[in-house]
Amino acid sequence: MTDTMSSPALTRRLRIGAPRFALIGVWALLIVVYGVAEPQTFLRASTFQTILNSQGTLLFLVLALLCTLTIGEFVDLSIAANLGLSAMLVSVLAVNQHWNVWAASLAAVAVSVAVGAVNGALIVFGQINTIVVTLGMSTFLTGIALWISDLTLVTGLDPDFAKIALYSVGGLPASFWYGVVAIGVFSYVLAFTPLGTHLRFVGASHEVSRLAGIPVNRIRFGGFLAAGAFCGVGGVLTAAALGGFDPTVSATYLLPAFAAAFLGTAVVQPGLFNPVGSWIAVYFLSTGILGLQLLTGSGWVANVFYGGVLIVAVAISTFLGRRAGSRRV
Amino acid sequence: MVPEPRLRALNVSKSYGPFRALRGVDLQVAPGELHALVGQNGSGKSTLIKILTGYHAPDAGSRMLIDEAEVALPISAAERRRHGLSVVHQSLGLVESRTVTENLRLGRLEATRFGRRVRWSAERQAAAAVLARLGSAVRPTALVGDLSAEDRATVAIGRALQDHRPGRGLIVFDESTRALTRDALTRFYAQLRRVMADGASVLMISHRLEEVLDHADRVSVLRDGELVLAGAGTGDTSEAELTRAMLGRSISVARQQGDAGNPPDSATAVRVRDLEGVDLEIRRGEIVGVTGLVGSGYERIPYLLAGTAAVRSGTLTIGARTFALPETSPVALMKAGVALIPEDRVQQGLALGLSVRQNITVPRLTAVGRAWWTGTAWQTAEVDEFVGALDIRPPDPEVPVGSLSGGNQQKVLLAKWLAGRPELLLLHEPTQAVDVGARQDIVAALRRLAATGSALLVAASDPQELAILCDRVLVIRDGRIAVELTGEIDQDDIVDATFAREFDPSASRRSS
Repeated sequence: MTDTMSSPALTRRLRIGAPRFALIGVWALLIVVYGVAEPQTFLRASTFQTILNSQGTLLFLVLALLCTLTIGEFVDLSIAANLGLSAMLVSVLAVNQHWNVWAASLAAVAVSVAVGAVNGALIVFGQINTIVVTLGMSTFLTGIALWISDLTLVTGLDPDFAKIALYSVGGLPASFWYGVVAIGVFSYVLAFTPLGTHLRFVGASHEVSRLAGIPVNRIRFGGFLAAGAFCGVGGVLTAAALGGFDPTVSATYLLPAFAAAFLGTAVVQPGLFNPVGSWIAVYFLSTGILGLQLLTGSGWVANVFYGGVLIVAVAISTFLGRRAGSRRV
Repeated sequence: MVPEPRLRALNVSKSYGPFRALRGVDLQVAPGELHALVGQNGSGKSTLIKILTGYHAPDAGSRMLIDEAEVALPISAAERRRHGLSVVHQSLGLVESRTVTENLRLGRLEATRFGRRVRWSAERQAAAAVLARLGSAVRPTALVGDLSAEDRATVAIGRALQDHRPGRGLIVFDESTRALTRDALTRFYAQLRRVMADGASVLMISHRLEEVLDHADRVSVLRDGELVLAGAGTGDTSEAELTRAMLGRSISVARQQGDAGNPPDSATAVRVRDLEGVDLEIRRGEIVGVTGLVGSGYERIPYLLAGTAAVRSGTLTIGARTFALPETSPVALMKAGVALIPEDRVQQGLALGLSVRQNITVPRLTAVGRAWWTGTAWQTAEVDEFVGALDIRPPDPEVPVGSLSGGNQQKVLLAKWLAGRPELLLLHEPTQAVDVGARQDIVAALRRLAATGSALLVAASDPQELAILCDRVLVIRDGRIAVELTGEIDQDDIVDATFAREFDPSASRRSS
């Protein structure tokens, strides 16, 4: 009796288990291929340091995106612009306006959270289409960032301030470890707290959640607030690491964030948006892009690579989601 | 001479996995006749319609002939149009924000040779011609959303009719008349007869026996996927005979066991006052059924009491606490011990992508778990208890609910709310579309809950289910309790009280 029941369950586990870590295999394969093709440039400690060092901004954007993706709010297009605005605000307030850099940071985070609140209010309580709100917000914020910076790169933040992002712990910068901690806390909340399960249920079905007594709208609004907070903190750290910010680059972060979040559904918890999977995907993507840049020596590959990966990742996500019997994009 | 039949369905079967929705149905519809097909929910009516519309492919060995010409199955849209086979669905399939002309002509719009513009003047004329044939005064330029239920039905019929050629064709109505009032119904059938005068046939799926007896020529009955009565003349049969055919053998057997020991406690557990006109009480340990025709309002009662549907008036008393329903949130009622098991498992009941365990324990996460640690022991205990008690298969709490069969999903939905030991459990169609074995497990679990002193209210359309489950059944008509059945409940009585003399309580002509 037990045997007849457990054996199909076991096969199913194995079937889902096999692709669970396939991305890590592909990652290893990428490293081998690049290592063979470009042994001089690729196989150096500095390369790997670059990969692990440079992804702080992307990591915080992915975290911001996950705040809304896990609760089923697809395509928050404003995150990159929101992060950019935060980075720009810190730079402008501290460098041009001579504010205390900590006060400037606080102000930047507060503005980003407020942006999240406006998004949430319009989408959740105003019931306005997510794409329209966040696309409009994205363009609006980019415009504001260009305005306050007078369309130019602002640099000259206090080098001491850079330590909050770059201070080296175990050979890696502080921003890497912030990412690890944030991913860890996010994962813990999702897996082990009532709030996490509520987030999953809201992501699966508003109606089911509402009837189970979950405060659906409060959770959705909170998701947008949290996304704003991650954008704000990410922006401050980005500005600190770079010593300033260029208002024109924030848009380039958007697509990689989506690619990583969707690619993350292929790892660890197949078919579900999950922080650890997305975290792995961030480094997978940066390995891929760095290797390609070394091979081709030019910048166009970034667009081709991120765009291509996003489509493949969403295809995988949809496929895995369908197999898990849940609704997906 | 017997004319060759318009439609001949031979040995039509349809299986979903091991479940056989239709078993070798042979159905004949004669030219120019209005043929009614009746049966309970789950008898296979809708499956048959879906085969006629080409939505489902029937099992091998099924055949279909129209005007004695063999039709390839699954039937294609082109073939349906060629044979003049059209279907008017339950929802009528109209777009409310568009005009009558657009709705009528959609899919047939003709464009100019050059420029590919739609010639709306010609389309309006075509629409007007169709409406004129139906004797309808509906303006082709009116928005469908502005029309009465009757006029919408007319537009839907009109659409079904426009490919119709005189002397041929079959129009299938899938419970499309349910929105019509009695007067509208008379005009509707008069209109239909005008259309049929040149030889078209109609197959009318319905559940209103009186309507069928009044207006159809012949009637067939489906029960559990089999045609148990084939083409009886409506003059030779009665509501009582049709009811018996729909229900089959009387099943008042399964009810008894484990029941005699638990007479309902005398204390009133739940008191409902002026719930949009309904007053009722449920004693501790009592299972009360509410039923009625579609549209009578019985199916709203669980949602009104749970606070999930907008309610105009009413109070609910549980124990010592009284709630004014229009001002009370679903969460407050839930905390007071009210649980709702909705009919729509997929949209409202379960998150199919999440696990059995997550689905069962989610309502109690904040109450039992701590904010920073949900806890696993209580979840495991709860899930194990109910997976065992309800015999949920596979007994693996970590598989996604979506991978379970319908019956097992329903059990998970039940476990989700039974585990909270509600004071008042509200259910809507708790055993709809589940197999016999699962139904027994579910009934047993509900009886066990009642035995602990909970009050249960079941809204259901299946008289057999109500007879097996309930201590008392209230039949709702026009939002009011019309009949109360107590004591030994016989499903025939429920059917009688529900279906018979629907429109006019004094007309007892056909009730036995």
